[in-house]
Formats: sequence, C-alpha cells, structure tokens
Amino acid sequence: MRSRGTYYLVYPLVIFLLLVLLFPFFVMISTSLKPVKEVYANPPHWIPQTIHLTNFSDIWGKYPLGSYFKNSFIVAVGTTIINMLLCIPAAYAIARLRFVGKNFMMYLFLIVQMFSPLIVVISLFKVISRLGLLDNLLALILTNGVFTLAFAIWLLSGYFRGIPKEIEEAALIDGCSRFQTITRILLPIAMPGVVTTVIYTFISAWNEFMFALTFITSMEKRPLTLGLYNFIGRWAVQWQYLMAAAFLALIPVVILFMLIERELVQGLAGGAVKG
Amino acid sequence: MMYKKGKIWTTESRLAYLLLLPAAVFLIVFMFYPIVFVILMSFFKVNKLGNLVGFFGTGNFESLLKLPEFGSVIVRSCLWTALAVAAKTAIGLVIALLLNVEFKGRKLARTLIIIPWASSIPISAMLWQWTYNNDFGLLNYTLRFLGFNPPVWLAFPRSAFFANMWVDIWCGIPFMALVFLAGLQAIPQELYEAAEVDGATSLFKFRFVTLPLLGGVLTVATLLSILWTFNDFNVIYILTKGGPANSTDILITYIYKYAFQYIKFGPSAAMAVITFVILMVVSIFYARNYFREGVQ
Repeated sequence: MRSRGTYYLVYPLVIFLLLVLLFPFFVMISTSLKPVKEVYANPPHWIPQTIHLTNFSDIWGKYPLGSYFKNSFIVAVGTTIINMLLCIPAAYAIARLRFVGKNFMMYLFLIVQMFSPLIVVISLFKVISRLGLLDNLLALILTNGVFTLAFAIWLLSGYFRGIPKEIEEAALIDGCSRFQTITRILLPIAMPGVVTTVIYTFISAWNEFMFALTFITSMEKRPLTLGLYNFIGRWAVQWQYLMAAAFLALIPVVILFMLIERELVQGLAGGAVKG
Repeated sequence: MMYKKGKIWTTESRLAYLLLLPAAVFLIVFMFYPIVFVILMSFFKVNKLGNLVGFFGTGNFESLLKLPEFGSVIVRSCLWTALAVAAKTAIGLVIALLLNVEFKGRKLARTLIIIPWASSIPISAMLWQWTYNNDFGLLNYTLRFLGFNPPVWLAFPRSAFFANMWVDIWCGIPFMALVFLAGLQAIPQELYEAAEVDGATSLFKFRFVTLPLLGGVLTVATLLSILWTFNDFNVIYILTKGGPANSTDILITYIYKYAFQYIKFGPSAAMAVITFVILMVVSIFYARNYFREGVQ
C-alpha cells in the first residue's frame, strides 16, 4: 500500500473529502468577515474582498450574546457538577464492588444511553412544570445531567476498572476509609478518565438544543444554541453576525472535543477498536 | 457472580446500592417515570394541559393510523435512516481506508476530518442553512460555477429531504471514519503479509482480510449510527421544521410537532411509544454486539 501510485490517488481524494467536509466552516469564516453589502452580493464571493473584523465586536452589542454565553456556561458547568456527583459513586460501585444485579445494571446503562429525550419530552415537560422549573436554567441542568449520566457512568467505570485495585486494597488495610481511597487514591490516578467524562458532559450540555427549545421561554435565559437559532427567526437574518457568533461558540467545543475523541470512539464502539 | 444468591445484603453490596442510589433516584425521576407516564398517556385521552382525562384504549394509536400522512412519516423515517446510515458507512469506510495509508500530513487530515463531529449539531445545521441559501449561499454558487444546475434546496419536498439528509450524513461521517480507522489499525499486519506471500491482490485482501476482521466494528458502529440517525431532531427542526408542508418530517420531529405545535398530547405519546419500541429493539441489538466485541 505504500507505492508511489497510491499517493497520486490518496492526496487528491483526501483533499477532495476535506473540501467537502470543511465547506460549511469555510462559509462560516468567510461570511463572518464580510460587510453586509458583500453578504448579500449576488453573485457571492468565496473570499471577502474587504475584511470586516468589526462583525465580531458588533454582535456583543446587537444581541444579548453575552448572556447566551453565560447561560450556556452555567448550564454546562451545572450539568457537569450534577453529573459527576452522581456518576463517580455509581461508577465506583460498578467497577469495584460486588453486588447482585450488576450485569443487568451495566446492560441497562448501555441501553438507556441510547434513549432519545424526544420520546419522553412530553411527560418530562409535565415533571419540569410541576417542579416549577419552566423557564429556569435548573431545568436544563437537571435534564442534561440525567441524559448524559448513563454514558458518563459507563465511561468512568471502564476507566476505574482499568486501574489495578491492589493499591486501594493496601490502603484499606492500612486504615484508610472507603471515601479516602476514592478521593486520595483512585480519583487522582483516574484523572484522565475523569477529565474525559467531564469534557463529554460539558460538551453535551453546551450543544443541547431540544430541552432549551422546550423549557426556556424568556429571551434572557436562552443558552447559545437556542439564542443563535432565534437569530434566524427574525425577519431579516444578519448572517454575518450569526456566522461570527457561531464561530465564537464553536471554538471552545471543537478544541475540547479534540482532546477526548479517542476515548469517545472506544467508549462507544467497545473492545472491537482497542487498537 | 462468584457468591451465593442468598447474600444480597452483604456489607459490600449494601455500600454498592447506597452509592448507586443518587444516580438511580435521578434516573427514575427524569427518565423512567417519564417513560412510564408517556406509555400511560398513549392509552388515555389527554387534555391540553397534559392531564389524563379518561381511558382511551388504543384510541390514540387508531387515530394515528387514520392520519393520511402518518404512513408516509413512517416510511420516510425508515428511508431517512437506511439511506443516511448506508452513506455514512460507505463514506466513513473510504476515509478510514485512506487514513490508514501512511502519507505526509495524515495526522493533520485526521484532525480536520473530526471537525464536523466536534462541532455542535444545532450550530452546524445553521451553517448549512446559510450554505444552502440559493441567492447568496456559496454552495449553489460553487455548483453553478462547476456547471451544475442545483435546485433551491430547502424549498421543495424532495430536495429539502435530501438536503436535510446530507447534513445528517455530514455530521455522522467523522465518527464512522474514526471507528473504522481504529478497527483497521487493530488488524494484525501479519495477516496482510501472509496474504501477500500467497500472491493476493489489494482487492482480494480487502474482501477476505479487511472486511471480515472489520465485521464486529462495522456492526456496532452501524447500529449506533441507526439509533443516532433515527433520533436526529436537531438537523430537521432547524433546517426546515419538517416543511415544506410536512414533507421532511420524520417520526422524531413529528412527535415534537404534535405535542408542542398542535398540542395533541395523546397521539404524540402514542408515536413516542412506537418510537420507544423501535429504539429499544435496536438498542438491545447494539448492547449485545457491544458486549460480544468487548469480550474478544
């Protein structure tokens, strides 16, 4: 597979596929740099003829982008905290303790992580309204926390299981409490796994759209995805602003995602891909 | 389990249940109870506030069957899932095979290919909506430049369906490519060398070494992709909201529309139950294959 002939085939194909896959991001960057006149020029230009960086500063005053970012951040951090508080003990129990029904539970978690929140959104709406949490960011924190929980437990317990338990057993014999063995020994060693789980949860909550669409009604409580979506709802979409805002919203998630993609692939596709 | 069935309440297992309790409480309140309630709703008359007002038997399900468009929504959901998953699998496999060749810039190419997956799906859908714009969007401009005659993508039922589907495919390609790449890299090099000694051609090696050894990964990734594709609410809702004239609705967007636009909770719950059953069956297949591969 390493002959010169292959290269002549590989490079054009890879470049073509990259062009196709990255095309909308190219559109995003190009549009975000254009002045209004050029955005609505027909025929359009691939590359802006004048670079108009002020779009990036204008959006903060024209839209409540600051509060969108803040809301998304609150939701993502809140979701991550709830998720970790529930997930660490559960993952520890699954990885380290023997109990009846463990296999059933693991199977259940694997299946549950596939549930689309759409099938329960009608009744979840009732639960949230009965708890008085409609139009409250806490509703998003709770629902995102629960719908990321199964996969988080799954990922983290896998990590815990990969760590030899002899150190913890020695510590237990030396008089450490269970709690201490978790916080002082297991978690520091499992830090890469914890970080992966935290990033996964954070990204999922940051990107979430459907719960926000359903539970959030007032403008100042919209997270980013919903806020940007409502750019389009206006009668004249200012695409250069939407693209600039999208660019800023995407940077953090794309970078974070790159850090954990290998673990995600492995966590989702199982032992088959342990290369 | 190494110990006897009678010993459910050992100190160890009591601690385990205690540690699992908080997670279980949240899952029950926000996931299992809503599932049970949706199932109840589907057999009851439900008023506009979402309260059960009287037993309805299979009335909600029957009312769905009487809807002329319900059949086409089901057919469309299946078509949507089948075509999109097939495309993701094929394109993902091609990318994985390409990235499995050693060439300069391979790492960079791999990183760049992940970006559509790394990106937020709702935001990606918005990027595509602008890209698809007929007058000012760069896609149709580029296609015309290359000599094609593209439609106004989101304005007509058929082109809107495929435009939606392409965005879903585009979001799903990187995952497929990465999983297949990991699967390819796990295939022992010796097998290829052995085949080469026997004088096998590239095509022969692909058919009789690569594909069979990739089988497990292929199954798990495809099942997972079926679940995600079937559940893809964001793309359709953001690009077309199921329009024009419900022509791009799939089951999952239809549920939402019925509940929160038409405020008909009963039929919506019935659709949710149908979806739940379908997803449950596929999920069980996925979980079984996942474990089978995990053990090997």
